Amino acid sequence: MNLAADISIAWPEIFVAVTAMLLLIFGVFQGNQSARLISWLTVGVMFIAAVLVLSSHSGRTVAFNDLFVVDAFANFAKVLLLLGAALTLILAMPFNAREGIPQFEFPVLVLFAVLGMMMMVSANDLISLYLGIELQSLSLYVLAAIRRDALRSAEAGLKYFVLGALSSGILLYGMSLVYGFAGSTGFDNLAAVFAAGDHDGAPIGVIVGLVFIIAGLAFKVSAVPFHMWTPDVYEGAPTPITAFFAVAPKIAAMALFVRVMLEPFGDLFEQWQQVIWFISLASMTLGAFAAINQTNIKRLMAYSSIGHMGFVLVGLAAGNETGAQGVLLYLTVYLFMNVGTFACILAMRRQGRMVEDIDQLAGLSRTSPKMALALAIFMFSMAGIPPLAGFFGKYYVFLAAIQAELYTLAVVGLLASVVSAFYYLRIVKLMYFDEPLDAFDQPVGKEISTIVIGTSAVTALFILVLWPVLGSAAIAAATLFAV
Amino acid sequence: MFTATIFLPLIGAIIAGFVGSRLGNRFAQLVTVLPMLASAILACVILYTVGFEGQGETVHLFTWIDVGTLEISWALRFDTLTAVMVFVVTVVSAMVHVYSIGYMSHDPHIPRFMAYLSLFTFFMLALVTADNFVQMFFGWEGVGLCSYLLIGFWFEKPTANAAAIKAFVVNRVGDFGFLLGILGVFFAFGSLDFDTVFAAVPGVADQSFNFLGADVHMLTTVCLLLFIGAMGKSAQIGLHTWLPDAMEGPTPVSALIHAATMVTAGVFMVVRLSPMFEFAPVALTVIVFVGGTTAFFAATIGLTQWDIKRVIAYSTCSQLGYMFFAVGVGAYPAAIFHLMTHAFFKALLFLGSGSVIHGMHDEQDMRRMGGLFPKMKVTGTLMWIGSLALAGVPVLAGFWSKDIILESAFAAHTGMGLYAFWAGIAAALMTAFYSWRLLFLTFHGKTRADNHTFEGVHESPPIMIAPLLVLALGAIFSGYLAKEFFVGDGMEAFWGTSILMLHNVIEDAHHAPKWVAQLPTVMAAIGIAGAWLMYMLRPSWPGKLAALIRPVYQFVFSKWYFDELYDMMFIRPSFYLGRGLWKSGDGAVIDGVGPDGIAAATRDIAGRAGRMQSGYLYHYAFAMLIGIVLFASWFLFGFFQ
Amino acid sequence: MIIQALAFYLFALTAIAAGVMVISARNPVHSVLFLILAFFNSAGLFVLIGAEFIAMILVIVYVGAVAVLFLFVVMMLDINFSELREGFLQYLPIGALVGIILAAELILIFGSWVISPEAAQSIAAPSAAPSELTNTHALGRLIYTQYVYLFQAAGLVLLIAMIGAIVLTLRTRPSVRRQRIAEQVSRPVEDVIEVKDVPTGSGI
Repeated sequence: MNLAADISIAWPEIFVAVTAMLLLIFGVFQGNQSARLISWLTVGVMFIAAVLVLSSHSGRTVAFNDLFVVDAFANFAKVLLLLGAALTLILAMPFNAREGIPQFEFPVLVLFAVLGMMMMVSANDLISLYLGIELQSLSLYVLAAIRRDALRSAEAGLKYFVLGALSSGILLYGMSLVYGFAGSTGFDNLAAVFAAGDHDGAPIGVIVGLVFIIAGLAFKVSAVPFHMWTPDVYEGAPTPITAFFAVAPKIAAMALFVRVMLEPFGDLFEQWQQVIWFISLASMTLGAFAAINQTNIKRLMAYSSIGHMGFVLVGLAAGNETGAQGVLLYLTVYLFMNVGTFACILAMRRQGRMVEDIDQLAGLSRTSPKMALALAIFMFSMAGIPPLAGFFGKYYVFLAAIQAELYTLAVVGLLASVVSAFYYLRIVKLMYFDEPLDAFDQPVGKEISTIVIGTSAVTALFILVLWPVLGSAAIAAATLFAV
Repeated sequence: MFTATIFLPLIGAIIAGFVGSRLGNRFAQLVTVLPMLASAILACVILYTVGFEGQGETVHLFTWIDVGTLEISWALRFDTLTAVMVFVVTVVSAMVHVYSIGYMSHDPHIPRFMAYLSLFTFFMLALVTADNFVQMFFGWEGVGLCSYLLIGFWFEKPTANAAAIKAFVVNRVGDFGFLLGILGVFFAFGSLDFDTVFAAVPGVADQSFNFLGADVHMLTTVCLLLFIGAMGKSAQIGLHTWLPDAMEGPTPVSALIHAATMVTAGVFMVVRLSPMFEFAPVALTVIVFVGGTTAFFAATIGLTQWDIKRVIAYSTCSQLGYMFFAVGVGAYPAAIFHLMTHAFFKALLFLGSGSVIHGMHDEQDMRRMGGLFPKMKVTGTLMWIGSLALAGVPVLAGFWSKDIILESAFAAHTGMGLYAFWAGIAAALMTAFYSWRLLFLTFHGKTRADNHTFEGVHESPPIMIAPLLVLALGAIFSGYLAKEFFVGDGMEAFWGTSILMLHNVIEDAHHAPKWVAQLPTVMAAIGIAGAWLMYMLRPSWPGKLAALIRPVYQFVFSKWYFDELYDMMFIRPSFYLGRGLWKSGDGAVIDGVGPDGIAAATRDIAGRAGRMQSGYLYHYAFAMLIGIVLFASWFLFGFFQ
Repeated sequence: MIIQALAFYLFALTAIAAGVMVISARNPVHSVLFLILAFFNSAGLFVLIGAEFIAMILVIVYVGAVAVLFLFVVMMLDINFSELREGFLQYLPIGALVGIILAAELILIFGSWVISPEAAQSIAAPSAAPSELTNTHALGRLIYTQYVYLFQAAGLVLLIAMIGAIVLTLRTRPSVRRQRIAEQVSRPVEDVIEVKDVPTGSGI
């Protein structure tokens, strides 16, 4: 237990932290004109970090007095969120340059947020969990409000901040209740305490504490009824930030959620399953129904992501290895679908202005057929139509639900995906069957077109990479149950 | 040869139908008329070889359906009955094809018309050559379809469309019976092959089945169901209403389909199935009753109609009644005999009236005709020949066939047979009367047409007259020439096994009293004289008579109120029911709860979900708190219970 | 011990009462003052359990910095609190309902509170006996060894807070005229003053 060993285990995080601070200093001296350079450097840092994560020891190791854990599950999630963050940052660069977000702090904050997320997924203690969340959240609050002169952006940031603070309070309250019972905040200790307790159920205080913790985490994954911030923040925040919000923090929070539920509280499965069951069901349903009336595509994506999180939670509610595997697979799929869709949204510009109305997509198939095709692929995939990526995500979480005999959840999930298909396919219908409006600005830019092509290819041909992804997800999921 | 006869018209129809419009009218006419003529010539040869040399055979084409115990082949069955039918169908059809070249020369859709005609001929041939019930049903439905298409050929005319739909729907009632009958046959015999079924008939003649607690004679039921199909096709009373309306179609269509061929399909079917009907005496009695009633009833209506084609249509209806009661009393050969002669003279009459209509520039109302004979001598003469044949004036075709039918009915020595006999005699009187009413109103007396129209009246071109001449030959000689084989001494040799008669009623008919044989002729004479009296000598009498017996006249003129009755009994209730089911059933319940309801509910929920998103921070925070309280309460209650 | 108990109840009740007053006082300045009172009482409670370092930190940081900052903000911002309160009152019934339910549930929970028998074993870092080390010393030892990860992470959180504050508020306004003393002082006279020779009686 020496510091050097600890550092070698946490090397990717330390690398990110140190480079983030170096970039900050660099930016302070260079000023805002270095924003683009810093952005690219940040992307580079993220890729290096991803490589470091991949090259790390694959077994489960803990560091810093059991506060920090590295295992296959954490690594899988880290790679995903690094990838998501890097892609969204690349998307953000032309937007920032164009729309007047000159601050060099932007990429630095993204990097800090990513650091927070990495700490979240590697948390092995309630306190480190909390600090990871706060590090991430604070960065996100600032990012949401970064267009401080735009009223909506400021409003989004403020709302996110206040509600996030509330959720942090709830989370901390739950942690204190749990600590009060177990006398420890370490995951390993908690697991030992609950495993030793009689299995008729833990004392009610602990369970209520667990409910509070779930509520705090559900806020982070924007699950119903803790989702209310999502549409407003998604709509208000600058579009690349929304893309970032929709991907990386969701992946991190969901991975954290799964770890917290399955590792320290794994023996309280029967208690928390009901809550997760309800949250999942409510999220799927609300995500499906509320999106129907939306006219703003970013709000639509907000509800869509609420719905997707509901589907992911189905895997968690199953509480088995297939479920955890399904969660990781779904998150992978979700990453590509969402990044791609937001790249398309970023390409929705007319006469230099961003348009966000869904109706503006009318007749896109004739004005820019390639983009329409890509968007159609994403929409079909989100609707869960085989053989696109989204289908496999849904398939594996429902498979897990069936294995766990959660038939109601599976049925409601299927119905919800039918309802949600309505609004996904409406977009396709708009693009392919309605009278075209003026074309969007051309060209959309190298960054956007590259990412759209890449993600749509992955989404369409996911079946080719399905088995490798599924295999590593299986290994990652297994580590949660090995303890 | 057999195959070629059947499929030549189909080839013509396909070519004319698919490429005719591109290659021109003349091409379409040639490509349909020539195969049709070839087919007619082949049919004559077939009649000779099969009928007189006894070389009938069944041509097996391919296996069509093979499911479990049901095996259905596509085969052409050629025995004498088929040969006669093929002969009639192809000859009349060929004549109509030729006639159509002239009659339809100004129509913009000639290829379509010719294709339909040929297609119809093919289906009709498929019907008469059928080797099993399914193939017969195929032809049966095919001719129904073509009939629909041809009645509605002038699709711009709403009345034509309505008539086409009416014909189709009324036929469906019959077809439903036919289909049930076929299913009954399969149920009873386990096969749909004619030979298999016929061989098994004596074995099941006494079987019955239980239906709703009552024991029902199986064969009778099956035969009655099949007869309902025949009633629909052959426009027997009850299901006859479509036939007069079908006159909305072009006249050649009326001649071919609604006089000579398709409407006789019912008669043919019962004759073809004589091995079954012979063992179902109750069904035969019903047939006699229906046939006799139709013969009488249709003739009464024919007395009063003003539309030249409708008169002939009711006449057709009436003559079909003759055929049916002939079948019913067991005189199948007599029925087919009348079928053949009727085909010739009725086609002649229709085509002749078509010639008149053509000459009068599409005028069909006899009240605006008269005195046309000087201008249309050939047509007039031919119509006279046709009418003489129809009325049963000696030596002409109708005389022989009608006589033998009436004699058979008398000779059957059953109550129902006598009923049919007297109905037939009355109908014969009326037939003669309305035929000459038609002739006098159209060709003789002073014209009632306006000057302009009358000036324009002209004789039809040779291409239309030539087929009439051929048919006239048939109308004059076919009876005399064929009576020996059809119903005379050569009968047994001629028909062979194609018709089964348990009791040879024709033989008895030849020994009927003399007055029975002479009565129809006397009736015809009275009818002609009466018509001459009423329409030539005292033209004011018909009006006075109509006024005198006004209720009866109204009743008859309104066609016994069948259309009104059906309108009240079926059409309005079904419209009402349909509308009710549509509005309340489909619209309110199925759509309301189903697709529309779900969609509306979805939108409603979506709206509510959207309104929850108020934008107020404290609402959001509150929602979170409520969520937590709910979860906590959930566990607390669970815990303390 | 009695004095200790008395002190505890004094501090605790005052803290609660102050907390209630914070949210119920009409004047926002009074609210902040009550908040400061609550902080002081909490500090007293910490002193009672021997955590004098935290107690002092509470007074210095919360009272000395945070609360005073609050006071300045409240005084400087022109917020119509009575208007806000109306909205608050509108939701009071349902809010009270939820609050009462939550409170009742928490009371139930604490009424049946148990501590896991295994808890004692799992206490992560038993600190040295208070008699051997000062409070500050003990904290320092834990923070910089056992919890160095958390300490650094907390540092990063604060850094983010700082960056955020700067990003969201720092503005460079080119249109605002600022006094640049160095420039003023170093300007040569001839750039600033021009002497004109004005002929008498003609004006400029």
